[in-house]
Amino acid sequence: MSDPVIKADHLVKQVSTANDTLTILQDVSLQVNAGESIALVGPSGAGKSTLMTLLAGLDVPSQGEIHLLGQPLSQLDEEARAALRCEHISFVFQSFLLIPTLTAIENVMLPFLIQGQDQDVARASQLLEQVGLAGRAHHLPSQLSGGEQQRVALARAFISQPKILFADEPTGNLDQQTASKIVELLFQLNREHGTTLVLVTHDQTLAERCDRTLKIAAGKVAS
Amino acid sequence: MKNNLLLKWRWRECWQGQLWPITLALSLIIACVFALSALVTRVDKIMVDQGRSALGADLVLVSNQQPISPDTLASAKKLGLTISQQTRIRTMAFSDNGMQLISLKAMETNYPLRGELQLDANPLTANAKTLTMLQHVQPNELWLAERLFNLLDVSIGDTVAIGDAELTVSGKIAEDPELSFNPFNQMPSAIIHLDDIAKTGAVVPGGRLSYRAYFSGPDSALNQLQQEISITASQRWLSEQSQGRSAEFINKAQQYLSLTLLLVLLMASATLVLTSQHYRNSQQSTVAMLKSLGASQAWLRRWLAGQLAMLFGLSIAIGISCGFLLEQLLRLPLTDLLPDPLPSIGFSPWLVSIGIALLVGLPSMGISLLHLLATPATSIIGQDTPTKKQYWAYSLLLLPLISLIVWFGNNKMMWLTLVGLAVILVLLGALGLLITKLLQQKRWGPAVTLALSRLNRSRVASMAQLGALTCSLMLLSVIWLLRSDLLNDWQQTLPANAPNVFAINIAPEQVDAYINQLDQWQLDHSQAYPVIRGRLTQRNDEVLQSVSPAVATKPETEADKEKDSALRRELNFTWLPQLPSHNEVLEGEWSTERGVSVEQDIAERLNIKLGDTLHFSVNSQSFSAKVNSIRKVEWRNMKPNFYFIFSPDVMADLPTTWLVSFRIDDQQTGLLNQLARDYATVSLLDLRSMATRIQSLLQQVAWSLTVLAALAVLSGLLLVLTLLRLSVSQRQQEIKLYRTLGASKKRISATLWAEYGLMALIAGFTAALGAQGIIAAVVKWGFELPVQPHFYLFITLPVLALALIYVITLSMFKQLLAPLRA
Repeated sequence: MSDPVIKADHLVKQVSTANDTLTILQDVSLQVNAGESIALVGPSGAGKSTLMTLLAGLDVPSQGEIHLLGQPLSQLDEEARAALRCEHISFVFQSFLLIPTLTAIENVMLPFLIQGQDQDVARASQLLEQVGLAGRAHHLPSQLSGGEQQRVALARAFISQPKILFADEPTGNLDQQTASKIVELLFQLNREHGTTLVLVTHDQTLAERCDRTLKIAAGKVAS
Repeated sequence: MKNNLLLKWRWRECWQGQLWPITLALSLIIACVFALSALVTRVDKIMVDQGRSALGADLVLVSNQQPISPDTLASAKKLGLTISQQTRIRTMAFSDNGMQLISLKAMETNYPLRGELQLDANPLTANAKTLTMLQHVQPNELWLAERLFNLLDVSIGDTVAIGDAELTVSGKIAEDPELSFNPFNQMPSAIIHLDDIAKTGAVVPGGRLSYRAYFSGPDSALNQLQQEISITASQRWLSEQSQGRSAEFINKAQQYLSLTLLLVLLMASATLVLTSQHYRNSQQSTVAMLKSLGASQAWLRRWLAGQLAMLFGLSIAIGISCGFLLEQLLRLPLTDLLPDPLPSIGFSPWLVSIGIALLVGLPSMGISLLHLLATPATSIIGQDTPTKKQYWAYSLLLLPLISLIVWFGNNKMMWLTLVGLAVILVLLGALGLLITKLLQQKRWGPAVTLALSRLNRSRVASMAQLGALTCSLMLLSVIWLLRSDLLNDWQQTLPANAPNVFAINIAPEQVDAYINQLDQWQLDHSQAYPVIRGRLTQRNDEVLQSVSPAVATKPETEADKEKDSALRRELNFTWLPQLPSHNEVLEGEWSTERGVSVEQDIAERLNIKLGDTLHFSVNSQSFSAKVNSIRKVEWRNMKPNFYFIFSPDVMADLPTTWLVSFRIDDQQTGLLNQLARDYATVSLLDLRSMATRIQSLLQQVAWSLTVLAALAVLSGLLLVLTLLRLSVSQRQQEIKLYRTLGASKKRISATLWAEYGLMALIAGFTAALGAQGIIAAVVKWGFELPVQPHFYLFITLPVLALALIYVITLSMFKQLLAPLRA
């Protein structure tokens, strides 16, 4: 058994509104090992996405501690957490989130830009080829279909060779046929790169393809 | 390589992304400010040039009675200034056949230092083939104003005695730079060389004598001279700021320029603020995504700063180029007026336009961008995490605020405009909301009901939108209508058929024949006015000045100088059975019984009221009249105008000469010559060239104003279009949802029309209301013109707003109707 890359202990997330305090997550503990793929499932509003933002260090829990790649997140400020993500973590989003004014290949190379590295065009082209978009490298997102846009997002996610990939409903905006192709691609790339995958989804069949499923209901782990 | 991609990205954001409306607004600001400040620099230059040409120098020191001290002249010399001295005296000139009181100017050869003196040495009668025009006076010459040839009955080569000197007439003064625009009060002048003044023996203590020193040189040296020399009570400086006749038009035009500039700036800034806010909203997910990919605050700051820098760089390049072209366009009609070669505009338009763009752009974009930077990374999952409020970002507003305070200082007019606009914005927004509230209480169809409830739901947003839409519609109509009012006023005061020749000194027995002659030639002419010169001596029991007949030649005392200028000199009186139709009676009623009608300004200055009894003196004959009316006189219209008009019974018995003004075209000069021959004793003042000059100046300035107003209106429309586009695109999701849910095209179109149509109608109506108020206020207090209602605005503005809505929805309809992607 390899070491856990994510370790969360007794997480609580509360949000204050004008009138009262809402508890979104209550005493959630979990562990994800390197190379493992885990699905966070549950009904809408259960707190899956919130849990993902905490695990990825995008937000901080109200109580509890998270160790991400061995580092206690409570000890890191926002900048240090950003540096950690920059180096080791990637995302795929439901709404693709490509930059509309950059071409497909330029979108793929965006992480290099943030890391301050030289643009590795060859590698970006290779990834685009892997996702089946070799001929569309110089198209703008507006010239691509939804499925094609998500493939670009996949290529972008893997270009920085992340240790962990967080995917938030990656097929949520796609039709079934396209979705299944994207899922194939996601797992294939995940295997090839040996990435740890944390997947937030409604989709039971998608969840079943992961090594493990964690059910979240009313802010708690229900399994 | 990595920088390459960043550069490409930023470049495309400026053109294809959400930034192009910002680029456009910023370029517009720079272009307008550049063009206008360049134009103002040049127009200022024309004004200064014209003013100084009319002065004969850059600066003049006038000293009554006492010669200008050698120390003063030495100081001027030390400062490197060119000096020309002149002595002026009122004295008698005698010829074999007549005598006349003249104003004698004894000047040095280098006069004038600015402007043009033209001396015509050609015999008046012969049509000489070779014209001899001289620019400077030499010793032993005598040049006479044209009128003096008639008055003294002399020709070139005859001898005229001035004091002890016998001088031979060299020719006529064709153009004197210092010629006054006032056709009356103009004592005919004669010019001799300064070296000859001693020969005349006319310079005696107590004579009506003034010494002048004309200076020219760099402005800094002129300023220093004015600081170094303390002048005595009998001395005064004359500079181009002592205004000429055309200055008033230019002043109003400049006032209009700066007001329009302010309004264009306001509208462009509003566009900037709105588009920046939209940019912020549209970029929040991108920033959140970049943060999730690990972008640090420092990286994001660099990214946005670079974007901002490119945006400014691009806008400056576009703005300055467009500004340059625009300035050429605005200058096109002014070509004749501008000096050749054109003076350089210097650096100020560059600095001012870029400076203003930064002052306006930094806060309006900075605040939005700083908020954008604070977007939490969690918003990528659509979680509505509250953004940390960046209150300190609002401190950027201090930039334009402090600059406004420095710039406008205590210019009340501008502050009033700004504060007034802010108040109006709030009031109009509130009024619009009130109207929607009232409308909501009635029963309407489903589309209108839905639209009304939506307008009322998000009250602040609707109020802001209504307020902004209303204000921009209002401002653009203010700019356009103000231009029309201004041009109308000019046209009325100086119509195309304004008189351009004055015939004065017509003897009573000549009047009828003279008028008949004009009628025969079908020349447009005024009625004949009797003219009698006299003084106002007493108001009721208060003595205003002594009745001494010698007063005209007595040296001026200090007390004289304190008096109103109207009391210091003889005025032209006239008597008429009826007031002229171009004079508007403000108070009282004209009557023909020992009455006098007084001009409004002089009545105010001398505290003359209706019913006062005024005493006058003409040639030591005293008489009185009761003030029966106060009149408004338009002095700019070049028609014969008088401060005091009497009823015939007051002064019809006094000896008088007559005056008539008429219009003559350029090709009718022959008629003028014939009049001069037939009525040799009548003096003709030919103001054709001056009238043409003022008229063409007006036309040219009017053209520039029209271009400018069109530009301002365009920028206003840009604002309205941006506003509506942004608003409609915010509705996009909602409308797409309706479409996805199967709403028919007709229903969606009806919903859009109901909502935006209502908004357009309300905004159009309230804007018309606001514009009426603003135009009335600005026209009355800012430009001092008569206020006119513009009722058609209540139709034009709502229709314009509806048309814009139509264009916007039409252009966006296809995009709006696409169903949501599954």
